[in-house]
Amino acid sequence: MTDVVVRGLSKSFGSNQVLKALDLTVPSRQFVTLLGPSGCGKTTLLRLVAGLETATAGEIRFGDRRVDRLPPGERNIAMVFQSYALYPTMDVARNIGYGLEVRGTPKAERQEKIGAVAKVLEIGHLLLRKPKQLSGGQRQRVALGRAMSRRPDIFLMDEPLSNLDAKLRATMRGELRRFHLDLGTTTVYVTHDQLEAMTMSDLVVVMNEGVVQQIGTPEEVYGRPANLFVAGFIGTPPMNLIPAKVRDGVLTVAGAPLRVPLPPGAPADVVVGVRPQDVTMARPGDPDTIPGKVWMVELIGSERLIEVEIAPKVRVTAEVRASHRAALDDVVAVRPDPAHLHIFDPATGAVVSTTAP
Amino acid sequence: MRPWVAAILYAVLGAITFVVCFPLLWAISTSLKPKDEIFRWPPTLIPENVTFESYRQLLFGSGVASAPGAGTPPSDFFLQWFANSVIVSVGSTAISITVATLAAYSLTRFRFWGQRAVPYVAILGYMVPSVIFVFPMFLTMVALDLTDTLLSLILGYVCITLPFCLWLMWAFFRGVPIEIEEAALVDGASRLQVFRQIVLPVAMPGIIAASIFSLIVSWNDYLFGRVFMNSMENLPLTVGVMHFFDGTHVDWGLMMASSVLMTLPMAILFGFMQRHLVAGFGAGAVKG
Repeated sequence: MTDVVVRGLSKSFGSNQVLKALDLTVPSRQFVTLLGPSGCGKTTLLRLVAGLETATAGEIRFGDRRVDRLPPGERNIAMVFQSYALYPTMDVARNIGYGLEVRGTPKAERQEKIGAVAKVLEIGHLLLRKPKQLSGGQRQRVALGRAMSRRPDIFLMDEPLSNLDAKLRATMRGELRRFHLDLGTTTVYVTHDQLEAMTMSDLVVVMNEGVVQQIGTPEEVYGRPANLFVAGFIGTPPMNLIPAKVRDGVLTVAGAPLRVPLPPGAPADVVVGVRPQDVTMARPGDPDTIPGKVWMVELIGSERLIEVEIAPKVRVTAEVRASHRAALDDVVAVRPDPAHLHIFDPATGAVVSTTAP
Repeated sequence: MRPWVAAILYAVLGAITFVVCFPLLWAISTSLKPKDEIFRWPPTLIPENVTFESYRQLLFGSGVASAPGAGTPPSDFFLQWFANSVIVSVGSTAISITVATLAAYSLTRFRFWGQRAVPYVAILGYMVPSVIFVFPMFLTMVALDLTDTLLSLILGYVCITLPFCLWLMWAFFRGVPIEIEEAALVDGASRLQVFRQIVLPVAMPGIIAASIFSLIVSWNDYLFGRVFMNSMENLPLTVGVMHFFDGTHVDWGLMMASSVLMTLPMAILFGFMQRHLVAGFGAGAVKG
């Protein structure tokens, strides 16, 4: 089994630097997700690992083998593309076996491996069909089968579920995770969908503007975001990020003091982060609350989101039970849970302290 | 659609089809008539006495021994002319398609200076009437000592067909997703294997469409053949059949039989390939 080590990797397209001296280690047998918004460089990183792009600087190793000068075919990787990229003129069996075919695997052995993969993916009845005769989900399975048939060292997946409908995506998420656990192949998975990242990954690499923002387990990137970007990007609805001030060691949000332990040397201006799930509704005047007016109320099934304007253009969202009633312009107060507060330095974006466990 | 609208529509379409097809029908009819019936008044569309004499003369020779001082009858050259036309059409098409396919592939897959301009300049070149450059080309052929050779015609036809074939293939390759090539590279295929096993099969409708275009253009050309060639045995069909008109009288039977025999290969080819032709042009239209 193989780990992937990336050191000082940079990639520019003309004057546009997409990756900036990036360091990353993908441990062997782990399912690692590159998560970030469009244009953050995650797909470029994956393509560099695959050998489909050439790095401007830096190196890539698979185990102790340096691979960044090798063509894709010599890296022993398999890749699943967003568009599946099935060979349109070949039937499903040949699509799955093409990698074995170009490597000179004898026909009998090839047939055997194609059969085995088809059985696992339950696509045995589709082997003689052409890609255009398959549904989206079936194409996805064939693309997966093509990747699995060669028993590669590393799986690379570029948003493989993004073309599927929501129901099928949920099913395939589970199946992909299951295949990974069964095969134990090191997997690098690219997505902009945080639900996929959170549900499938051993490790999540959050990226923005060509830089790794945080590497951690799904629990870590959700519960202890390293900076403002991660805090704002991970979580639905997103974390409340509220400008606040520190005066004489006391945190003040929109004029209301909150009793929160602060580290020594905290900057005078900070941003307080608190997830909507960690905000409760209170009455104005209650201690450790921030007063405001209800600005918007949204029902999202079993919960209700109440957006409270605590200062001009500054709003805090609380996620409460659906049974909680609130009307627009009601005078209320919100209470951030002091045990789940994150304090950020707005100048650097880095977390200053966090009370989350 | 209401029945009477459909009836009018079919009547109009039928009339247009008849008008379009009439020259071919008339040629077939004339080619099967004996000489006295060709000029009979009123004319007959369906021959009263069917004869294959014109076809026999073209395909098996006139059987007339040349008199001293008289040349071989033109109809005896028919098979030679046919072979010439096949050689120059297939030859020029093979060169055009090979060059256009490779050039179009590189234009869509590799980055280099002027990459975007090439297809547009090429199509612009195709729009220049060939009569403008036929004489400069003739002088070039004289300089190269290639006049009156089939090679000169092949090169001339390549000049006419290559720009459009290049543009067509370029539009086609732009529609072939690059991911399937990348998938093959990841699977371990070499660049050449990717081109041969993945790209070419996908591009086949485009190649067929471009081939048919090139074949039709070079098969039907008259101008280049007229200017570049002069000896009887080297003429292409289009120029050769003009010898059935000797200045005082036209052998319409031979002329029409030749026309039918000339149309036949293209009609058969078109019949087999028209599905690909539409797919090929369609690909260009959508992505181009």
